[in-house]
Amino acid sequence: MALSSVNKFALRLLKDFRPGLLAPALTNTNLDIVRHRRTKHFNPKFRQLRKLKVIKVKLPKFNENTDDLTEEEIRSKMKERGMLPPRPWIENQYFISSTGGIFEPYVPPEGDGKVSPVSAQGAKQKLQFLEKKTKTMMAIRKIRSFEEEFDTPTFCKLAENIYIKAHECMMSRDEEEVIKYVTETAYPEILNNIANKTIRWKFLKNIELPRVAHARCTDVITKENIFAQITVRFHSQQVLAVYDRFGRLLHGSEIIAKDVLEYVVFEKHLANEYGVWRIHGKIIPDWLPRRDATLLTHKLPSTSETGVNTKKADTVVAQPSESETVTT
Amino acid sequence: MINNLVFRKLLNYPLLEQINHLHTTRILSAWSPLGDGPQKWLAYNKKIYPPQEPHEERRPAFVCHQRTNIKYSPWKMWYIASMIRGMSVDEAIKQLKFVLKKGAKDVRETLEEAKEMAVKEHNVEFPSNMWVAESLVGKGIVFKGMRRHARRRMGKVEYFHCHYFVRLEEGSPPKHYYQNVPKEPSEKLEEWLQQMRSRKIINSL
Repeated sequence: MALSSVNKFALRLLKDFRPGLLAPALTNTNLDIVRHRRTKHFNPKFRQLRKLKVIKVKLPKFNENTDDLTEEEIRSKMKERGMLPPRPWIENQYFISSTGGIFEPYVPPEGDGKVSPVSAQGAKQKLQFLEKKTKTMMAIRKIRSFEEEFDTPTFCKLAENIYIKAHECMMSRDEEEVIKYVTETAYPEILNNIANKTIRWKFLKNIELPRVAHARCTDVITKENIFAQITVRFHSQQVLAVYDRFGRLLHGSEIIAKDVLEYVVFEKHLANEYGVWRIHGKIIPDWLPRRDATLLTHKLPSTSETGVNTKKADTVVAQPSESETVTT
Repeated sequence: MINNLVFRKLLNYPLLEQINHLHTTRILSAWSPLGDGPQKWLAYNKKIYPPQEPHEERRPAFVCHQRTNIKYSPWKMWYIASMIRGMSVDEAIKQLKFVLKKGAKDVRETLEEAKEMAVKEHNVEFPSNMWVAESLVGKGIVFKGMRRHARRRMGKVEYFHCHYFVRLEEGSPPKHYYQNVPKEPSEKLEEWLQQMRSRKIINSL
């Protein structure tokens, strides 16, 4: 019994075999090599004393990712430095010069409203159209109460002018100027779209005269604080070429003119005496056919681990003038 | 949630500096006693080149990236930076995995970040199709410490930091990175022949 237990113990020892510990002992016995380290003092106290000569400096960790720190770690760091957490400033000034989105957006009829009124769908569309038209008329009347000489044909001319100016500012990357023609809501989107790019855009001609398709008014916070939005239908011929930072063609062409049908939303702060009509957004209907894919190959983000899956993805560049339906 | 940017920047300052610089309100702390670090390298990423004509050769894309104030000696880092010059990115990353130096890790991470940036922001189609066009080291902030010597004297201890800068360019790497390449035997022979033939023999016809 005792022998077997001893054997078991020996077996366990063998299992815990550590070559690191065993190896030097073996070499010593076999080859009689004893290593002497000559750089180390026999009295270890001097090492400790040398260490005391250096005054320790706590170096900052420059490349530490502060986003990964937990709340508790940040707290302890601040406490160490005697810093108070930044106090949230509750009072904020707001100046609402534009609304955050398009309210009651216009839904462009499928096939540009060319469905026969005899068919069921066509009849339904006509009825909805009539209902919406009355609302539009009321909204225009409301606009007239603020802006006496408001008149749709002159407004359409103004809208076209704003539309062209805004695009020209985008072309020249004039951030100061572009805010005169687009609202604060559309501004960041436009800046994002023109970043690191060169845009060549030309407005050639109108195929159809721009017309008001839709108009709506809404009040914000108080009853008198009224904003107006007018959707204008543009059907024009344009040239667009987008180049990347290195001047290489990303999209479009400078020699091919395309017919562009667009519904552009203009907004004005009616209650503001100095309010102006500015581009607020574009209406992109759901039934719009898919846009052409870009020339670049992209890696799908979800399959990045598996590696080689590449796919021709949708266009990355969301340039406003691209979002048109290209008819004919 | 404490995520104020200025505040996070402040967390990284050494304690002593901060005590000297007691007024840590937002505006004052916008200026840092450590300086703003290198500014020019990343500015190259903002340059927009004029559109190319259809007949012109496609301009290769490039991306500049940097990592600042790495706690490593700039003189030691130079060896790592020089090693990967003119290599393709993937080759450089592969090689750096076998470099047993502390700075190699930072260099490798910088390269990987630059690769990612190139695809996301600079319209590069295949990140592997890039090469290390420039790989430089700069001297970062130096903290001075003290060390006691005998007889009330002292020595200076310097804690160096370094910056690492890299520029990746699209395309395959060139055959020779540096200009003064040792000549091939055939080229040398050609040169020698040329030299011999252009000799002037005095008093001859």
